[in-house]
Amino acid sequence: MNVRLKPTRGQFIVGGLAASAAVKFASINVIAAPKTLVVGLNVPQTGPYSDQGQDQLRAYRLAIAEINAKGGVMGMQIEESVGDDQTKAPVAVENARRMIERDGAVMITGGSSTGTAIAVSGLCQEKKTIFMATLTHGDETTDLNCHYHTFRRYNNAHMSAQALAKTLLAKYGTGRWFHITADYAWGHSVFDNLTSVVEPKGAKTIANVLMPLGTTDFSSALSQAQAAKPDVLVITEFGKDMVNALNQSAQFGLTKSAKILVPLADEYMAKGAGDNFDNVVTTAPFYYKYQSDKYPEAKRFVDAFVKKYNSPPSNGAECAYVDMYQWKGGIERAGSLDPKAFIEKMEGFHFTATKGPEYWRAWDHQGINTVMVLEGVPVAGRDDPFAFAKVLEVHDGDAVAIQQSTSKCKIEDS
Amino acid sequence: MQGPAPLRGRPPFALPEDSTIDAILSQLPGQLLDGFVRGLVYVAIALGLTIVFGMLRLVNFAHGAFYAIGAYVGLVVAERYGLAAGLIVAPLAVALFAVVFDRVLLRFFYDKEPTAQILVTFGVALVVQESLRLYFGGTTRSFPIPAALSVPVNLGFTQYPAYRLAFAVGIVAIVLLVWLFIQYTSYGLIVRAGIRDRTMVQLLGGNVALASTIVFALGAGLAGLVGAAASPIYSVDPDTGFSFLVPSFVVVVIGGLGSFWGAVIGGLIVGELQSLTTLVLPAASDVVIYVAMALVLLVRPSGLLGESEVIRG
Repeated sequence: MNVRLKPTRGQFIVGGLAASAAVKFASINVIAAPKTLVVGLNVPQTGPYSDQGQDQLRAYRLAIAEINAKGGVMGMQIEESVGDDQTKAPVAVENARRMIERDGAVMITGGSSTGTAIAVSGLCQEKKTIFMATLTHGDETTDLNCHYHTFRRYNNAHMSAQALAKTLLAKYGTGRWFHITADYAWGHSVFDNLTSVVEPKGAKTIANVLMPLGTTDFSSALSQAQAAKPDVLVITEFGKDMVNALNQSAQFGLTKSAKILVPLADEYMAKGAGDNFDNVVTTAPFYYKYQSDKYPEAKRFVDAFVKKYNSPPSNGAECAYVDMYQWKGGIERAGSLDPKAFIEKMEGFHFTATKGPEYWRAWDHQGINTVMVLEGVPVAGRDDPFAFAKVLEVHDGDAVAIQQSTSKCKIEDS
Repeated sequence: MQGPAPLRGRPPFALPEDSTIDAILSQLPGQLLDGFVRGLVYVAIALGLTIVFGMLRLVNFAHGAFYAIGAYVGLVVAERYGLAAGLIVAPLAVALFAVVFDRVLLRFFYDKEPTAQILVTFGVALVVQESLRLYFGGTTRSFPIPAALSVPVNLGFTQYPAYRLAFAVGIVAIVLLVWLFIQYTSYGLIVRAGIRDRTMVQLLGGNVALASTIVFALGAGLAGLVGAAASPIYSVDPDTGFSFLVPSFVVVVIGGLGSFWGAVIGGLIVGELQSLTTLVLPAASDVVIYVAMALVLLVRPSGLLGESEVIRG
């Protein structure tokens, strides 16, 4: 008799878990050759922030190709070691560890989440390896969890909230505020900063629904928001989560019944949200339409990016591109790969790249540069699908940054 | 590093400003409706998974890929010919893909160990995911809701998006149609008999191979249809299949492997649990379904409506 092999319930579940685990492994490819410098590009290529991660990767590769074509870094060609961090801290740390230990990476860069950035920053401090954190907006990266080997040029939540203050009160009023917030370090940081700006002026926080990272269906949170009839709905979500949350808000009628605030956005999110981004106020450190009209270096970067990839760079990509050049410059000024020599040349360094004059603050390694307050425009009013906003205000970085007297950053000596 | 941050003295969950039990209760009908609609998505996906397991004894990890293919086909067709065309073409295209997949590859694994089945279906799922990424790029895409269904409907106790309501009605109708097919057609008879004893049906002259292919195509087509119908609600990206695959397995385990109504009940339980948890402790809305699965496994290892394991010799 033909006996069929039937999976038992136990095998089904164990097999299922094993197979689910298999997908978590990130691939790391590296081709190392003598006289090269390996840099670790640790970005999400899958998961909720993958649009942002992939765009950063494009920018890194553009910068590396340009640098290598002009002779590399002190005569050494840059080689990449790429990892998909999946916006998960343990995966990001494991990637970075392999990049450093196996591939000999002398610098790690990337990230699209404060959760992964803080975790990788801790590892890089332990390994005494430079970490150029790109897309991380939570304060902690250069505040409570600042580290000697970590530099972050991207604006942080404190800067965004301070920059938003005037617009928020003028356009949104005080009223009743309902928050939907990503439940991890970044979301908490943005919520704390925003409420500390608007509550003293009279805004009333009626709820803060903390949703897990990677949520696709926000309906139950939006249902609550609808019942609460808020004046302002704050969606502190990022990447695909924000696109889903905002599009679903429109389906619940909330984009008409409440004013929507998205504290941080980029070109991919605004494209995904389409007309639902109309009138939404947000912040960004860079907007290709604005800076490329004002700064030649921004125009050169945006043109090169568009030529290579057929789409404009998002603000995370701009940060990735400038970070790669900043690292190159620091190494060349130090004349050495020694991290300490590099850091000494970076701290307090003033430069002008794609945004006008900016600098690296010595005591917390935060990049001090401008913060933009933007307002979404409808799709019909966009030159291209990514041209999502008009610029309301541009704030000087120093005016909105955390001051040393209130910072929790106590950076190591080495 | 992702630990709780100070929330300025407020509880880390959403309570209306008056924070009374009455206030929570007033939200309950809306949340129950939302949980029901959300659960129907899982029902429709898990149904395909469970009938395929029941009939073919196949652990199909490519089921999420069927959802993703349906979402992309639906999106591409809808962008050109409208949503209705997308809803017709997507399930047919996915069913066709499933038949080819079954005939070319999967049938050689019917009698293999479940680990081999998992590996081959998981492999196909990865190939599909990466092919979608290669062809469409990794960018998130979405399809706008038809204007007529883009506004919320006032139901008295809550306002709920019209598209989600239409979506729910459609899924309920389809679940009933599948049930009628299995219950009242001659193929349905072979399917039901095959679930109980495949060898005996073969000995009695039933064309189990054909019925298996039909069941496989039906399950896949269902996933494809849901993928297309859900694209105006959830954005679409190459990873979309896996994000629905795991909860659907949880649904099947809770409901009982191979059980039609188990998948229905399991799906609704998962949907309701997620919605109600979001009302009181939203941060736990992901993990709650795994807790539920663990509890069901402890109390009733074969799932709520599953049959106990029979060891065959």
